[in-house]
Formats: sequence, structure tokens, C-alpha cells
Amino acid sequence: MMTVDTGVRRWEHRRARSVGEAAATSYYGVPPIHKAHWRWSVALYFFLGGLAGASGVIASFARLFGGREARPLVRLARYLSFIAILPAPFLLIYDLGRPERFHHMLRVVKFRSPMSLGVWGLIAASATATLNAFRQAADDGMLGQRTPLAALGRRLPDRAIAALSVGPSFFLSGYTGVLLGATAVPLWAKNALLLGPLFLCSALSNACAALSVLLRRLGPASLPLIHRLERLERVALVSELILLVALEQQSGPVIARPLRTGRLGRVRNALLSAGLALPISVHLLVGQRRGRLPEALRHIATLFVLASGFALRILILFAGHASADDPEATFVFNRRGSRP
Amino acid sequence: MAADLRVGTTGARPGAMGFLTDTTLCIGCKACEVACKQWNQLPMDNFGFTGMSYDNTGDLGATTWRHVAFIERIDDHTGRRPVKLQPFQSNWLMLSDVCKHCVYAGCMEACPTGAIIRTEFDTVVIQQDICNGCGYCVPACPFGVPELSLTDRKAHKCTLCYDRLKDGLEPACAKACPTDAIQFGPVPQLMERARKRVEELHQQGVTSAYIYGDRAVGGTGGIEGLNAFFILTAPPEVYNLPAQPELPQRRVLPAFLSTAAAALALGLAAWRALRGVK
Repeated sequence: MMTVDTGVRRWEHRRARSVGEAAATSYYGVPPIHKAHWRWSVALYFFLGGLAGASGVIASFARLFGGREARPLVRLARYLSFIAILPAPFLLIYDLGRPERFHHMLRVVKFRSPMSLGVWGLIAASATATLNAFRQAADDGMLGQRTPLAALGRRLPDRAIAALSVGPSFFLSGYTGVLLGATAVPLWAKNALLLGPLFLCSALSNACAALSVLLRRLGPASLPLIHRLERLERVALVSELILLVALEQQSGPVIARPLRTGRLGRVRNALLSAGLALPISVHLLVGQRRGRLPEALRHIATLFVLASGFALRILILFAGHASADDPEATFVFNRRGSRP
Repeated sequence: MAADLRVGTTGARPGAMGFLTDTTLCIGCKACEVACKQWNQLPMDNFGFTGMSYDNTGDLGATTWRHVAFIERIDDHTGRRPVKLQPFQSNWLMLSDVCKHCVYAGCMEACPTGAIIRTEFDTVVIQQDICNGCGYCVPACPFGVPELSLTDRKAHKCTLCYDRLKDGLEPACAKACPTDAIQFGPVPQLMERARKRVEELHQQGVTSAYIYGDRAVGGTGGIEGLNAFFILTAPPEVYNLPAQPELPQRRVLPAFLSTAAAALALGLAAWRALRGVK
């Protein structure tokens, strides 16, 4: 017989250590459920998918309702959406245990499996992001002036493909929250209704932050446009903050434990303060003022917003792992009267 | 109460085959674990003493499809050995845990490739030639049954010896069990037997005996019962089982709706922010 040498036995590294009492009241602290194997690559996929999706939404809305002056925003948002979505399928495939079998994902469509829907949604979002970027590249002369490719690109119905990408883009930036919620992991399952909206808000704030800075640096964009984008970012950031606090409140003391203690507790503190509260305050303080200092502050705030988008997904992902490893959290969640 | 009427009933489909694991008969010999490994040619786990009771396996996993849990009931808080025995047994509780082959299975609904199927025996099986190792079934199981193997990177779990069933044999664990703690058969018959056994136990003074896996307990949130169920004599948590597990996929539609509502709100905000810039 073959021995599986893993260094440690599989339950050993998951056994509750820090939860003390839980180890005494459960089955020797062995977690009753298995956690997901997802690591940083999945968090990065969540982040890039969100950024691509929200950029796609902004590009479409700016194209459909923004008029001529929003054109620089449309251009940047379309490119950002395309660039952010490029690594997404590779991260998804990299994360599979058997990547060479990725195409098995395309055997079926299952409406009750967010993983299955997500793959199809990613394909749809990739297709619309590519179409939009292609059209934009043709308009911008990146495909040459008289080449057949440019002619093909210019023939794409501009407003129609913009409208077409709204659905898949929204789906891509929010479905990952649903995916986490549809598991037995206490922290995720308990907050199934909040995770989708939370990821959506975070994705929108990230896209707004990235686009407003890009516009300031690169684009010949009007200041009112940038200010409107920053106002949208503020709305998204405040909603994100509210949702994150609500998530923690709703989880209750036991299930929320990983959010409050240890390394993840520090990530959560940094996220709440530097990632959300600080950019919101910078927005409120600096407002639309010009000058070197406000400009620098705005750039720093943008960096913090982008970092917070990734940190949020890391936090939710790994806090979920920790709550799956905590027998007490699973037991509390599975007692009647403690459901969302 | 509607829930009370469901006690001792099963939501199993016609023709469903399953396990009744009667923990009051289990002597902790681990013959089921060994028979399972032997028949299914599962590699041994990293051998060692766990330091917790007589359990040297830990939990269910990719290479352990039957797992015997040993729980010593120390009833006073000083941690001394109890001096009076329960009416039917020692102060050890033993549970041979296994995949529950849920009537509505979280792992199967989560699987994005269709690798997890329901067989003609109403059992849940992972098709190894389809599984692409995405691992979504692993956290989707409220009982912590499937797991990704470190050797072939695919998800594995109990098949209820599908290959043996096909040939009219009972599963290896049930065959090997010396005390008939593990019984195999059509689910409605097993459930009937379980109810009689629980009544019997109640008459013997074991008033704590109950069926884990009937519709009232094992299927509160849409799981609708388990095709592999258990007779227990202590709260489920003592055996490392969730009290009232829920089907994770029941949350998919509400979660998508709340996300769609948020998308609508954010879309409105984006429209207000970006419309007609002048």
C-alpha cells in the first residue's frame, strides 16, 4: 500500500488550537467540516474579476448616458476592464487540482451551482469586455487606419455592445460572494445575503478609484467628470464600510471570531481604518481642491482603496477558512434559530 | 408542529439504498475502516497516534471513507473516570461515520462539472474521470465528507461500494461489521428498523436514543433526510455532527437576489453620477 506522506496528518493542522473551550466541548477540536483549499490566487481572481466587472459597468454607463465628454472615461474603463479580465481565466484554471481538465467545466450548466454559473458568466464577461476593448481600439486607431481588422472593429455596434456588457459585468463582480455563501462554511453561509453586495461595492470603489487616478494622469478628461466619478467612489466606499460592519454584527461573537483576533483581526483593522475610513476622510477633506498636496493625498487614497479591495477578499477568504476550522462556529451555525 | 410529524420519516426516493449505523451496537473494532480501505484500495493515511482516545484516523477524508470516532464520556467536571455505567454500554460512545448520501446533496449540487451523480441506488458518487479538482464540493458539504486527494488532486468520498451494489453485494463495511452495527438495505426498511430499535432502547432505559438523519433532524434546511443515517445516544455535536444541517444551495437564489438588488442600487448611483456630463 502506498503511503500518503503529507508531513502532518490532514486533520492535525486544522485541529482547533486557539479556541480553547471549543476543543474541550467538541470532538477533540477536530473540525466537523472541511474548509476550501482556496489560497491567494482565488483572492486575486476575486479582486481582478471585480475590477474588470465594475470597470465594464462604468464603461457601459458612461458610453450609454455620458455623452461626448465622458469619452475619455469610456476609453480607459474599456481598456481597464479588458486588461483586468485577461489573467482571470488563468488564475481560475491554475487553482484547479487538475487544470488540464478545465474544459469539464463546460459540460453542464447548473443554476444552483454558483461555480458553474460563474464559469459561464466569466466567459460572457470576457467576451463582452473583449468586444468593447476591440471596438475602442479600432476607434483609437490602435488596429491601424485602413486594415480589415480596424474596419471590422468600427463596424461593431458601439452602444449595443456597451449595453450587452452591463449584465455579465455586474455578474462577474458580484457572483463570487454568492459562491462563498453557498457553502457550509459558517462565516460565509451566515452572511450569504451580504457577501454579494459587499463584493459589488468593493469592486465599484476599486474601479472608480483606479479610473479617476488614470483620468487625472492620462486622460484629457474634464474635471467635473472626474469629480462625478469620485462621488460614485465615495458612495461605494461608504456602502462597503456599512456592509462590512453589518457582516461582523450579523455573524455573532463566535462566528465572527476570526475577524477580530490574530493576524486576520489586524487585516480587518487595517481594512476598516486605512482601506475605508481613510480614503473616505481624504475625499471629504480634500474634496475638489487642486494643488500638489491634495493631488498627492488623492493618489495615496486611491492606492489604499485598491489595496483594500484585495485585502477584503483575503480577509473574507481566510476568515472563512478559520471559521470552518472552528468546531464551535459550525455547531452554532447549525443550531436552529441562528440562521440568517 | 410540522417538524415533529417528520420524526422517524425519510424523504428517500423509491428504490433508495442506504446505511443504518447503530452506534449502540458498535464495539469500535474498526473492521469497517479496514474493509473499506481494502475493497476500495485506498492508500493508508500517515500513520501515527493521534493522542486523542483510540481514534487514529481523525476524520473522514479522501482516503478514509469510514471513520470510527471514539468519545469517552467523562461526566464530572473534575475529569475523573465515571463510576456508574450507562444502562447498555460502557462510557465510550463509538460512531462509525460515513458519507450520508443525502437525499438532496450539497456536494452534488455544487459540482460544476457534473462529476458528482446520483446512481440508480439513489447514492451519491463522484465520477473520477470527470472531476477536475475544483474543490467546490469540499466546503459545500455540511458534514465534511468529500476531500481533495493530495496524490491525484481529485475529490473522493464513500461510493457506498457502487461496484459491489452493481453485483448484488452489500458494501464492504456492512459486510465486515461483526455486530451488525452497520446495516445495509432499502432506506424505508432501514428507517422502520431504526424506529423499532429506538423504541426498544427507550424501553431498556436508554431514553436519549434517537435517529440522526430522519427528516426532522438531518434534513431541516432542505436536505430532506439522509440515506445513510445513525442511531445516536447523545447530542449530534458530541459525535462531531452538525445538529440541524442545511442545504447550502438553498441560499443561492436569495443571495443572487440580494446581489441583484445591490447591483440595481449601484447601477442607479452610477447612472446618476455619469449621465450627461456637462
